Amino acid sequence: MSFRLRLMLPLWVVFIASVGYPLLYALYLSLTNYKITARYDTKIVWLKQYKATLQDPNFWSSLQVTATFVILAVFIEFWLGLFISLALQKQKRIRNLTRSFLLTPMFVTPIAIGLMFRFLLNQQLGVIPTFLDKFGLSYDFFGPGKAIFSIVLIDVWQWTPFMVLLLLAGLEGLSKSPFEAAKVDGASAFFTFRKITLPMLMPVISVAVLIRSLDAMKVFEYVFAITRGGPAIETVTIQYYTYQTGIQFYKLGLASAMSYVLLIFVMIIVVFLFKRIEANRRNP
Amino acid sequence: MRKLSKVAQLVAISTAIAVVLSGCSSSSEETTTDTGSVSGTVRVLMEGVPDTDIVSRLLAEFNAEYPDVKVEIETASYDQMRDKYVASFTAAKPTYDLAILDNPWVGDFAKAGFVKPLDALIAATDGYDYEDFTAPLRAIGESDGQVYGVPFYNYALGLIYRSDLVTTEPATLDDLAATAKSLTTANRAGIAMQPQKGYKAFEEWGNYLFAAGGTLYTDGKVKLTTPEAKTALKTYISMYKSSAPKDSLNWGFDDALRSVSSDKSAMMVSYNWMLPTLNNPEGDSGALAGKFKLATMPGGKQVLGSWHWAIPTNSSASDAAWAFVSWISSKAGEAKRVTAGGAPTRTSVFNDAAVTAKDPAYFETISKILSNAEPLCQGSNCDEMINAVGTELNAAFAGKKSVDDALAAAEKQANKIQAEK
Repeated sequence: MSFRLRLMLPLWVVFIASVGYPLLYALYLSLTNYKITARYDTKIVWLKQYKATLQDPNFWSSLQVTATFVILAVFIEFWLGLFISLALQKQKRIRNLTRSFLLTPMFVTPIAIGLMFRFLLNQQLGVIPTFLDKFGLSYDFFGPGKAIFSIVLIDVWQWTPFMVLLLLAGLEGLSKSPFEAAKVDGASAFFTFRKITLPMLMPVISVAVLIRSLDAMKVFEYVFAITRGGPAIETVTIQYYTYQTGIQFYKLGLASAMSYVLLIFVMIIVVFLFKRIEANRRNP
Repeated sequence: MRKLSKVAQLVAISTAIAVVLSGCSSSSEETTTDTGSVSGTVRVLMEGVPDTDIVSRLLAEFNAEYPDVKVEIETASYDQMRDKYVASFTAAKPTYDLAILDNPWVGDFAKAGFVKPLDALIAATDGYDYEDFTAPLRAIGESDGQVYGVPFYNYALGLIYRSDLVTTEPATLDDLAATAKSLTTANRAGIAMQPQKGYKAFEEWGNYLFAAGGTLYTDGKVKLTTPEAKTALKTYISMYKSSAPKDSLNWGFDDALRSVSSDKSAMMVSYNWMLPTLNNPEGDSGALAGKFKLATMPGGKQVLGSWHWAIPTNSSASDAAWAFVSWISSKAGEAKRVTAGGAPTRTSVFNDAAVTAKDPAYFETISKILSNAEPLCQGSNCDEMINAVGTELNAAFAGKKSVDDALAAAEKQANKIQAEK
C-alpha cells in the first residue's frame, strides 16, 4: 500500500464505521419489510417500499411542507442575518458583548425552544398574545394556514444568529480597496452593496445558505413540541413523518426507503449548490 | 468391585444433588423459593407522574418483605418511554427488567414477543385474585387469550368541573354543550378542550362519541360513519368554537390542565386521577383547590386508559420482577397504593372503607367510570390507528375537512391499519 493510501486509512476506517455502515444497513432495511414488532417475519421485498413511498400522498405532502419551511426560513434568516451583520460591522462600542448576546439563541436545544414558544404563544396564558391583546390585536399562531409560518418564525429566531456569524466573518474578511475606490468614485451605498459587497460575499453566502438549508431540512423538534404535525397535516415535515413511520409505527423498512428518497433529493440540491459555489470561485 | 461401586454411587448422588440445585436456581442472582430468598435488582422505567411517586414511596414497605430485591425506578416523560422500552426489548442486554405498558402497546408488544405471558405466575401466586381487577382493565392486558400485563393504574377519563360554577352534572351531550356555553365569559372558557392532532384529539373525542350513544367497534371493525359519530363530531366542533379557549387547536392535556387550574376554564374532560392533583391545596390550583369535582361523562360511558405491569422476555431478573409486581398489585398492595393517592384498578378497594373513607364520592364516581369504559383501540397497530383517526378528527376541528369526509377517511384508514400484519 502506498504511503498516500496509508495516510488516508484512518479516515476511511472512521468513514466506513460512522457513515458507510449505517447507510448500507439502512439500504438493506429499505429493501425489506422490516417491522420492529415483527422482526422474525422479515423478508426481502426489493423495491416495494420505494414504490409505497412514491405512491404515498402524505410523503409528498411532508416534502412540500419541508420545502416551504426551508425556503421561507432560510430566505428570512439570510436577509435578516445580512442586515444585522452589516450593522454589526459598523458598530464601534461594546462589539463583543452585542455579538455574544445575539448568538445566545443558537446555543439552546431546539426542543427547549419549541416548548418555550408553545407556552409563549399560548393564546390564554402566553406572554405574546397577552401583549398583542393590549393593542387590540389577535392572531391564531397555530391555526389553519398559519402554523407553518409560526414554526418558520421560531426557526428564524433561533438560527438567524448562525447566518450573522458566517456573514459577519465574511464581511470582515473582504478586501477594503474596492470599497475605497467606489467611495472615491462617488458610488451610492446601495450601489456599493449591490455591485461590490454582494458579489464579493457570494462564496460565503453560498456556504451559509447551503449549511442552513441542510440543517433546516432536519426540522423536527418544533413540530414535535408544538403542533404534532397539525392542524390536519399542515406541519408534518419529512423528518417528523419518517420518525412516525419508523419509530412510532415500527415500520423501519418503509422509513428507510423514505430516508433514501430524501437523500437522493438532498444530494441533487447539494451537487447543484456546490457547482454554483465552484462557478463563483472561478468567476468571482 | 465393591469399592468401585461405592465411588459410582457417590458420583451419582453428587450429580443428582447438582442437578436438583441447578433446577432450583434460575440464575445466579435470583431464586423463587419464598419471599426471603428471592433476590435481584429490578430496573424499571416509569412515567414522571403522581402514581410513580406513590410506588417509589412504597418501596421501603416492599423491601421489609423482600429485603434482597432492589427496585430501581428510572423516570422519563411519556414521549420517551416507548422508544426506550423497545430499545431495551430488542437489545442483547436489556436496560429494564420490568416494564409498564400503556394500553395501546400491549397487543403489539405481546405479538412481537417482547413481553412474557404471566398466566403461570398468576396461577402460582397464592391469594393474588386476578379476577378482582375490573373486567375492562383485565381485557386490556390480555392478548390472544393470555395475560401479558396486570393492571398498574387506570387513567379512564371523566368530566372534571368546578363545583362552585356547575350545580348540576350534565346528563346528556347536549347538556354538556349548553353548560359549557353558559359558563363561557370574557375571562373564562366554559371547557378547556384538547383537539391536538393525533392521540389527544381521538382520546377526547372518543368520550363525546360514547356520550352520543356511539361505539368504536362493530363486529370487530372500526365503525365511525354512524349518526352518533356525526352528532359527536358536530357537537365537538360547535363546542370548540363557542366554549373552548380561543385559538387552542394545538392544545393537549397539559395546556388544558393549566387553563383549568388557573381559573381560565371551568371544565375539562381529563384523567380521573387529576382530581386529587387539582384539589391539592399545595398544588397549582391555589385558592381553587377543593372546588373541583369528578363526574362520569354524560351517558355514563367514557374512554379507558391504563398502564400495566409486564415482564420483558429478556428480563434478567424476572422472578424478582414478579415478586415486586405481585406485591404492589396484590389486594393489600393495591389498598396501600390507593390509600396513598394512586388510581385504583381492583374492585375490592371500592368496598374497603379504610381506603374510600377519605373521599367516598370520588371513589363512587371512579367505580362507575371503570364499570363502563372502553379503550380507544383493540388488537394490533394501535398507535398508528389512533394517530390516523386523530389526524382526521383534527382536520375536521380545523375546518379543513367536512364531518362526513373526516369520519369516512378515519374509518377507512383505521380498518386498513388494523388489518395490516
